[in-house]
Amino acid sequence: MDKSFLEQVQIHKKNKLDGLHSKTKMIVLILYVICTFILAVKVTRLQLPLYQIAWFGVLLVIFALSGQFAKCLRGMRAVFVVFAVIVIAQSLIQPGGEILFKLGPITIEEHGLQKACNLGFMVLDVAGIFVWFFQTTSHKEIAAALREAGVNDKIAYVFVSTLKMIDEMGKNSRTIMNAQRARGIETEGNLMVRAKAFVPSLIPLVLTAITGAEERVVTLEARGFSVNAQKTSVFKLEKSGAETLVLIVSLLITVALAAWRIFLA
Amino acid sequence: MTQKKRSIKDDFTMLTILLIPIGVAVNVVGGNLASLLKLPMYLDTIGTIFTGIIAGPWVGAVTGLLTNIVTGITNPVNFWFIHVNVIVGLLTGFMARAGWFTDWKKGLLATVIQSVASTIASAPPVVYVFGGVTGSGTSLISAVMIAAGKSIWTSFLSVEIVWTVIDRIISWLISLGVMRVIPDRTLVKFPLGNLYLKNKK
Repeated sequence: MDKSFLEQVQIHKKNKLDGLHSKTKMIVLILYVICTFILAVKVTRLQLPLYQIAWFGVLLVIFALSGQFAKCLRGMRAVFVVFAVIVIAQSLIQPGGEILFKLGPITIEEHGLQKACNLGFMVLDVAGIFVWFFQTTSHKEIAAALREAGVNDKIAYVFVSTLKMIDEMGKNSRTIMNAQRARGIETEGNLMVRAKAFVPSLIPLVLTAITGAEERVVTLEARGFSVNAQKTSVFKLEKSGAETLVLIVSLLITVALAAWRIFLA
Repeated sequence: MTQKKRSIKDDFTMLTILLIPIGVAVNVVGGNLASLLKLPMYLDTIGTIFTGIIAGPWVGAVTGLLTNIVTGITNPVNFWFIHVNVIVGLLTGFMARAGWFTDWKKGLLATVIQSVASTIASAPPVVYVFGGVTGSGTSLISAVMIAAGKSIWTSFLSVEIVWTVIDRIISWLISLGVMRVIPDRTLVKFPLGNLYLKNKK
């Protein structure tokens, strides 16, 4: 029941796709984006990018196979909002072509629908695979993969500490805002009142962070952070064993799609 | 005194390396705070501007780059605008190094130049990838203009430039406010800190 510290920092994943090495995931991501562009052909009488819509189904399959379907969909929320805005706005504002749908003042014309689908599904597919990458790869894994790929220790450190810093400062900002509210600064009311509350909430936040950074420099230097030597990492990046298979399959799909696009479509 | 040739590496001391995460967090938290207080502004480049002013162009650029990568984790739309935030950091930093931010008028001019340049840089992805409408608050106005028959470029640029200039001026003023309260002994440790000392002796 009691795990050693070394065991606590390790990440073990059962799912083969979820536990892929970060480098393999990155290659899958790039190939998926390339395929999205390959599939940007317009079909049917309305010239819609139907293949890209189907390609989004593949993304959902990847989500499900990784065993993180719910988590990935949660991550997709912001993307869905943008997708909806693009589709609605473009299909309403782009004039031209035959009128497909009319309801009172709302008309959807051919060109509008085309542009909406072209832009919308491009954004949905490309952004979606990024969501998959980041929802299935923890910050620690990304940093370890960076270090493994020969990236400078300092860059890897900055990346991880940025993610921590955002959490930390987010918490601090709520504390500071509550403290300032207790001192009588109004955070509700008209625009001017709210705008005036912004400055006294932000400035103490930045100031504490900078004083903290000075102390952290001393702490890090004392632990030999800037020593020019090989460093040992407690966290070891694991492979799930499916790397080669996934690479071959995704490469085959890309090549097949490219061939189909060049010779048949 | 002979002037030593400046190298990019000189800008990245231990303290500035630790300043980068702070800058990114200020960008993110500032943006969140602005939407929490329901302000009609983004205020999401305060950190980039601040690091650019105090630590020079390269630190500012890295802060901008990292901000969009990190916010891209939750909202991949930001990946299309990485270059915008980098340009904000670079331009602010170069003008800061030339001493523009020590003076009110020059600082204001520098902020305006920086915001116009970065808005123009943000136009191509907005037009080609998102068709002029990204779902931000101001894109509603652009959408109305596009529907009224104006070209996507003019609709986006005319709305966005005005808005961004106001936004960045406020961000610059806040950075100035922060620099006022940082004690001199901390300020001198940053690459450009000695430009802004309160007690110049």
